[in-house]
Amino acid sequence: MIKGYAGRVLEVDLSRQEFAFADLDEETARLYIGGKGYGTRLLYDRTAAGIDPLGPENLLIFATGPLNGSVAPQSNRFAVVCKSPLTGGIGNATCGGSFALGMKKAGIDVLVVSGAAPQPVRLEIQGDRDEVRFLDARELWGRGTYDTQKELGKKLYHAVIGPAGENRVLYAGIVSNERIAGRTGVGAVMGSKQLKAVSVGGSRKLDMEDPEKFKAYTKEVRKLFADHPVLGESMKRFGTGAIVNTTNGRNILPTRNFQRGHFDEAVKISGEWVEDHELKGVKTSCIHCPVTCGRDVEVEGKGRVKGPEYETLALLGSNLEIGDIKRVAEWNYHADDLGMDTISLGATLGFAMELHERGMLDVPLSFGSAAGVTEMILDIGHRRGLGDDLADGTMRMSEKYGGKEFAMHVKGLELSAYDPRGSFAQGVEYATTNRGGCHVQGASMYMESTGPLTINPQNLKLKADIPIVQQNLACAINSMVLCIFTTYGMIPKAVHEMRPDSFAHRALVKIFENSGPIFRTVMGLKGNPMMWFEKWLTYITGTKFSAGHLQEIGARIFNLERMYNLREGVTGASDTLPPRILNEPTFDHMDSGHPLPELLPSYYAKRGWDARGVPAPRTLEKLQVRL
Amino acid sequence: MSVTVELTYDMGKELGEHRFELEGVETVAEAVSRARERFGDKAEAFDQLGRLAAVAVNGVLASHRRGAKTRLADGDTVSFVKAAAGG
Ligand code: SF4
Repeated sequence: MIKGYAGRVLEVDLSRQEFAFADLDEETARLYIGGKGYGTRLLYDRTAAGIDPLGPENLLIFATGPLNGSVAPQSNRFAVVCKSPLTGGIGNATCGGSFALGMKKAGIDVLVVSGAAPQPVRLEIQGDRDEVRFLDARELWGRGTYDTQKELGKKLYHAVIGPAGENRVLYAGIVSNERIAGRTGVGAVMGSKQLKAVSVGGSRKLDMEDPEKFKAYTKEVRKLFADHPVLGESMKRFGTGAIVNTTNGRNILPTRNFQRGHFDEAVKISGEWVEDHELKGVKTSCIHCPVTCGRDVEVEGKGRVKGPEYETLALLGSNLEIGDIKRVAEWNYHADDLGMDTISLGATLGFAMELHERGMLDVPLSFGSAAGVTEMILDIGHRRGLGDDLADGTMRMSEKYGGKEFAMHVKGLELSAYDPRGSFAQGVEYATTNRGGCHVQGASMYMESTGPLTINPQNLKLKADIPIVQQNLACAINSMVLCIFTTYGMIPKAVHEMRPDSFAHRALVKIFENSGPIFRTVMGLKGNPMMWFEKWLTYITGTKFSAGHLQEIGARIFNLERMYNLREGVTGASDTLPPRILNEPTFDHMDSGHPLPELLPSYYAKRGWDARGVPAPRTLEKLQVRL
Repeated sequence: MSVTVELTYDMGKELGEHRFELEGVETVAEAVSRARERFGDKAEAFDQLGRLAAVAVNGVLASHRRGAKTRLADGDTVSFVKAAAGG
C-alpha cells in the first residue's frame, strides 16, 4: 500500500446491518489522491444514474486522504460525498474538527455507507478490533449536535447530524466538534439513512515514506504560518470575519438579498469588532491547526459557543440588514445545533424577506428586523409551518412562490458571500463549479478582489483562467484532505507588505494581470515540490507532487464531477448566475451585471469542453477520466 | 457636495471613528488629505495604519480609475480597504 494511506475501505450496509473491510484501490488513490476525489470516483462507479438522493440507493461516503492523521497544520479535514438532494448533482462538503483523525487512527481511509436503517441508529467503529456496532439511536434522535456529541463522550471521534438532518432539510450538514460539512445537503442524506452519528477511533499511526523530512519541514511550516500576515495574523486574531470590512469596502458584501454590496453597519459584524466586544475566552481550532480561526462568543442562555464565520456574518447579518452581532451569533448557534448550512439558510431567509417585501409571501420576516428570525430558523430545522418550505432552499421556494430573478443560487446551491458583480472571476467560478454556487471550490475572489494582488476584478483579463487554476487546486486540496484556507498562505508575506500604491506593487499587479495563458502554463509545470502541501504529500507518500501534478489531478476530479452532473441531468445550461447578478448593476459605472456570457465560452474552451460545457473525449482521455 | 469616508477597522479604532462625512472634496487626493487633517495630532497614526490600505470609491479601487485624481460625486463612499482573507 502507498504510504500515507491506511489501505482500507469500510463498507457499511445500514439496511442489512452488515459491514465489511475492503482494500483501498491503489490506482484510484494515485489518480484521485483521496477525500473528495476518491469519493467522487466511488459515487460515479457505484451508483446508478437518476437515483433518489434521499433514497437508500444513495451512498454517503466519508473520505480522508494521505495528509490526514499527520500533524501537518490544517490536515484535519474529511470529505463527504453523495448525490446532493439540493442540486440533484454532485454533493460534497469538507469538515474540520477531529473526525478525520479518528478515521485514520481506526485504519480506515474511506467509509462507504449504503442503504437505510429501519429506525435511528448510530455506528461505533473500533478500528483496532475491526469492529462495527450498530447501536439504537432513538434516544438521541431529535437532539441537537452539541448535546449529541456531549452524550457520545470523548473516547471516540464523532460526526453527527442534528434535527435538520433528521428532518431532511435540504441544506442540512454533518457536524464534527464545532465544525460542519455544511454544503449541498449531506446531512439530509445522512438523515434519510436514519444515521444519527458515526463514532470512530483506534490507535494506528500514519506510516510515512520519509518521517524525518516531514517532521523537520513541518516545523519550518509552522514558523512560516506564524509569520504570515493572513494565517499568523489576521485569521488568527480576527477569524474569517476579518474580511467583512474588506468586502464591504469593495462593494461585494451581500446586503438585502444581494440588492447591494455595501452595508453601512458592516463594522459591527466584523471579526475585529467581535474581538473587541464579544469574544469570550480562547480562540478555537480544528485539531493540529495553529491558525485557530475559530472563536467563541457568549450567547444568552447558551453560554460560550462557537462564534459565526464570515459567511454567517454576511448571510445572516448584512444580507438580512442585521448589524447586531449578538443576534447573528444566536442564529449561528441555532443553525449549528440544528446542524444546517448557514450560507443556504441566510440566503433563503433573505429571499423570503424579499418575497414578503414584494407581497409575494405572507411571512413575518423583514429586512433590518430580527423579529421572527429565531422562530423561523427553529421552524426550518424542524420543518414546521412555513419553515417546511424554507427548508427546501431558495430554488424550490422560487418555483413555488415566484421570484426566480432574485433567487440567489446556482444549480440550487445558494451563493456564498462574495457578490460576483465586483469579482468577475468569482462569478465564473460560481457558475461553473459542479456543486453549485460556492466559493470554497476555488476562492477566486482572493486572487482578484480581497487578497493583496489588486488586479482589476471588473475587466475580462484572466477571469476565465483564475477559476480554472483555483478550482483544480481546490479539488486537489479537498482530496488530501487539507483545509482550503491553506491557499491563503500561498501569496508570500513580502507581497502583503508592499504598499498598494508603490511602484513595485503596481508593477507586480500589472504583470500578473497581463500574464494571459502564461499563468496557467506556469501553474501547470511539473517540477519539484514547492508549496508545503506538495512537499508534505511527497514526504508522506514517496511520490513527487508539484503544482503541475496537482493541477492535473484537480482537473481530473473536476471533469469527473462534471461527467457525474451530466449523467444526472445537471447540464451546461445550469452554468449560469442568478438573473439579479447578470442584469442588475451594483456599481455606478455598470450598465448591467456580471458579464458571464462573454467569459463562459473562453472558460469552456480552456477547459477542453465543447460549447455546451461537455468535456471533449480527448480531454477526458488526456486526464485519464474513465467512464 | 458630501462624501462618506470609511476607514479600516484599525484606523477607526485608533482615530476614534470608523465612518464620517466630508464636505466639499472633489477628488480622492483631497478626500485623503482632508481625512488626514481631521485627525490633527494623530495624522501620523493615520499614515502608519493606512500604509497598507488601498483606497476605493464606491467599491472600485482608485488605482483602477484615475488614481488620486479620481473625481468624486455627491454621495460617494471613499473606503480604505486592506487585503484580507475570509471563509
Ligand atoms: S484554518 Fe481554521 S478552519 Fe482551517 S483547519 Fe485551521 S482552525 Fe480549522
